[in-house]
Amino acid sequence: MSERFPAVPAPLALPPRRRLRADRLAGRLAPYALVLPTAAVIGAVLGYPLYLLVKLSLEKYDLPQVIARRGVWIGFANYTKVLADPEFWHVVVRTIVFTAVNVGLTMALGTLLALLLAALGRFMRVLLTTGLVLVWAMPVVVSVNIWLWMVDYEFGVVNWTLTRLHIGHFTHHDWFVSPWSGWAIITAVVVWGAIPFVAITIYAGLTQVPQELVEAASIDGAGGWRVFRDITFPILRPIFIILTSLSIIWDFQVFNQVWLMRDQRPSSDYYLMSVYSFVESFKISHYGLGSAIALIMVATMLVVSFFYVRQMVRIGEVR
Amino acid sequence: MKARYLAAACVVAALAVIGSTASAQSTGGTTAAATKIRIWLMTDAQSNWPQTVAAATAAFKKKHPAVEVSVEYQTWGNHLTKFDASLAGGDVPDVIELGNTETSKYMAAGAFTALSPKKYPNSKTWLRGLYDSCRFNGKTYCVPYYAGARAVIYRKDLYRQAGIKGTPNSLDAFVADGKKLMKKYGSDSNFSALYFPGKYWYAAMSFVYDYGGRIATFKGGKWHGALSSKQAIGALTKVKSVVHALSRASKTGDEGTPQQALVFAKGHVASFIGNGWEWPYALDPKVGNPSLAPNMGAYPMPSHIKGRYMPTFLGGSDLGIPISSKNKGLAADWIKAFTSTKSQRQLATAGKVIPNTTTLANINKGDPQLAPFAKAAKYSWFVPTSPNWVNVENANVLQNMLVSIVTGRSSVKSAATKASSQIGTILNTAG
Amino acid sequence: MTAGTPVAPAPVAPGVTRRRVRLQVSRRRPGRRLVVNLVGLLVFVVIVFPVYWMISTAFKPGHDILAYTPQWIPLHPTVSNFSNAIHRPYFWDDVVNSLIIVGSVVALSLVLAFLAALALAKFRFYGRKAFIVLIIVIQMIPLNALIIPLYIYFSGVNLTNSLIGVIVTYMIFVLPFTVWTLRGFLLGVPRELEEAAMVDGSTRFGAFVRILLPLVGPGLVATSIFAFIQAWNEFIIAYVFLSDPDKQTVGVWLALFTTQRGTDWGPLMAGATLTALPVVAFFLLVHRRIAFGLTAGAVRG
Repeated sequence: MSERFPAVPAPLALPPRRRLRADRLAGRLAPYALVLPTAAVIGAVLGYPLYLLVKLSLEKYDLPQVIARRGVWIGFANYTKVLADPEFWHVVVRTIVFTAVNVGLTMALGTLLALLLAALGRFMRVLLTTGLVLVWAMPVVVSVNIWLWMVDYEFGVVNWTLTRLHIGHFTHHDWFVSPWSGWAIITAVVVWGAIPFVAITIYAGLTQVPQELVEAASIDGAGGWRVFRDITFPILRPIFIILTSLSIIWDFQVFNQVWLMRDQRPSSDYYLMSVYSFVESFKISHYGLGSAIALIMVATMLVVSFFYVRQMVRIGEVR
Repeated sequence: MKARYLAAACVVAALAVIGSTASAQSTGGTTAAATKIRIWLMTDAQSNWPQTVAAATAAFKKKHPAVEVSVEYQTWGNHLTKFDASLAGGDVPDVIELGNTETSKYMAAGAFTALSPKKYPNSKTWLRGLYDSCRFNGKTYCVPYYAGARAVIYRKDLYRQAGIKGTPNSLDAFVADGKKLMKKYGSDSNFSALYFPGKYWYAAMSFVYDYGGRIATFKGGKWHGALSSKQAIGALTKVKSVVHALSRASKTGDEGTPQQALVFAKGHVASFIGNGWEWPYALDPKVGNPSLAPNMGAYPMPSHIKGRYMPTFLGGSDLGIPISSKNKGLAADWIKAFTSTKSQRQLATAGKVIPNTTTLANINKGDPQLAPFAKAAKYSWFVPTSPNWVNVENANVLQNMLVSIVTGRSSVKSAATKASSQIGTILNTAG
Repeated sequence: MTAGTPVAPAPVAPGVTRRRVRLQVSRRRPGRRLVVNLVGLLVFVVIVFPVYWMISTAFKPGHDILAYTPQWIPLHPTVSNFSNAIHRPYFWDDVVNSLIIVGSVVALSLVLAFLAALALAKFRFYGRKAFIVLIIVIQMIPLNALIIPLYIYFSGVNLTNSLIGVIVTYMIFVLPFTVWTLRGFLLGVPRELEEAAMVDGSTRFGAFVRILLPLVGPGLVATSIFAFIQAWNEFIIAYVFLSDPDKQTVGVWLALFTTQRGTDWGPLMAGATLTALPVVAFFLLVHRRIAFGLTAGAVRG
């Protein structure tokens, strides 16, 4: 214990009981001091705007109100209007299904990629990781435009290749006529953009799995899948939980890909909650309604990810 | 214990850094000695007539040497988002360019200050179609900037080789000529006699107005969607048959993606309905095909009535002064410099657009690339002048209707009736 | 990462073990390594194809870009798109602004988040759970809904048209995730390591810095890349907040390639390629730390 006070000169040394209390006090205050800067920044930047967001959702705040810089209080009218609209519930279901599909694909493919990265030789690993970072680094505007090109009706590489490979007649195939194929393309773009982060993070976790355990298991005759299921996965479980919850939160809020792939004018078949909120706010200028939709979105996300969030909070509680 | 001190030190350091730089930034901004006016123009000005902008600013500075002019270029996709944010936050630009279909909403909401036209150059001869988009409740709230009209841009050589003499003078003749082209070149799977993407509502609505229909009418204090009328349904049926017979373009795409002039430049398209600037764009050596130059021409789209032109949509932009601007007088002076006759002449020639005043009509007549569009502009139609029109555009009502018609997903009648009632609802939504 | 397992073997320097494992593997199944590498190459080609398409388009002259028969390799490569992009107004100003913003966001976020993650992982204190829930919930708020409220607020404190405003706003979206991830990595470090370090004579904070900081190396790398990319590519906040043309960022600069007349594809792809370079450079600088989680000499459990 005395090591904690290496340089305290004798005359200033506190009597033992006082030192213990000061020590404990310091120990008890330390976490608050550590958390303070983050909390301060978040509070300073987000506090008032969040209050405004909630306030807006309870007001009529259309263009005339924007110009006058004050809203008209209407209580929960925005919320009742949204919740009573059957179209809204279609959008909610669509968003949940979209999120589930994207998260599932991202986590599955990301994990496979991470395992591949761990098994590769050094040069290939650096090459593949650099490729993944390049994909990750592409701005959404650019990547969506590339994908749009690839599936373009007139000049698309995909149509040309599929026709050449005699998989079918894809000349002048329009991928967005049917919402199903349209959503497939959008999902591909989202998953493609999300995989690098997941793969690299899981790979980072894999490097901390003790190799002796893996070795021992495979010497004992366990195949790759069993090693993964019984050794690797339990060790990486916290990372999986974190990545899954983050993916849920991020994929639920996907906006740019849908917006840009539909040329900033999506039809209602392509509405997700984020798109619906944006259209109400910035296109139709019903900012109050748009804010209400956004807050309902937050609530929905909380409900949908509740299980994972609880797990996340519980991680480390055993300590 | 050291943890606490170190943490505290970090906090203090971080706050100090943020604090000092923040104060440096804000003092830097607010103690500017001169006044500054902010102009919001669209990126088109930066790409196509930057010299005109510079000349206007120079002319302005001759009158107000101490005033700083900051021209900020905006993107079409998000400029209204930014404008709304600036209105909500109270720091608006002093001059803003808006599309002529966007002004109605902002005028009705009281975003702009009223102007007296006679103080602005050429106001007596402002292009009627454009000027109408600046008037609300008898007052003028913005200044016309420039206009665009559409006409048929075509390949003279392909017409000739298909046995078409001259250009068609009626819609029936147009379709017959188109079928001749399809007969001769249709075996090329990429060939279109008329490249007409499904969502091209500007061109499709021209048919509606030509047949005597309208998008909406204002009666008894309310808007009524008019696409369910007999004339409109007849026109839309005609659009469907034209698209099916003459076009291989995407039925769910629009004229901008891929840019139709560039598709034309690839050489597999005989004609398309385009703006004046799309002609030189197809010939642009960087992206188009300059070798097509001797074979290109344009003519106004013919009406179903022989000898007349189909009304064309008059697009364009206006310049307004937000009501909370603190430099209204200076803003007005800048607009005057930018819409002077000299400025407009330069703009029309450099950008291949239609200037805001009919006094410059002779520029249009003299330029073979501009003349057909100026001719077409004489018969124009415009969207319903309701403040809620932008919401109709944003809800893609017309695009969705057209796609379901040309893809055959709905019958013309049911798609038109559905769109009509949607339009009525949106236009009548209380602001 | 060892939370929850009853036996907690201390992680070892992977370099040593992996080399051993690899030798054994390749001795046992020499063909397997080749197959794995081939699979890796195939995956690389498929995943990176769109990036390749972007780069190859950047080198194509305009009229070759939209072609009925795709040109896999530019037949008439040109650098005119790059010179076009670089000569657009304010390119270098925007790059500098983006570098300033990104640098500040990454540095500040890492410092603040590491401290907060320390508190959350290593201390038990009243309000801890609430704080954890708070930073999770913050990530659920859609950014678009906050544009107007943020703008009203920043306008009121005179921070619009200022890089500071953009920096602190970005931190809101980067901090929660960074705190989370670093907490996760910190939780994976066994207590024995800390205590062993303290027995050796360091203070608690000294133990934190000397032992834990290197252990969360991969976490710091992953989150700094995340922060870098978020800040570098962000568009709407930068566009709405920043007005002066010389204060814009690279994200806004890229958006200006689209006018009412369509998009300038060649120069846009060239611009996008150029602006992707700093991210890749940053990654190449730090990627080694992803693999090394530990310093040599850690106590073996």
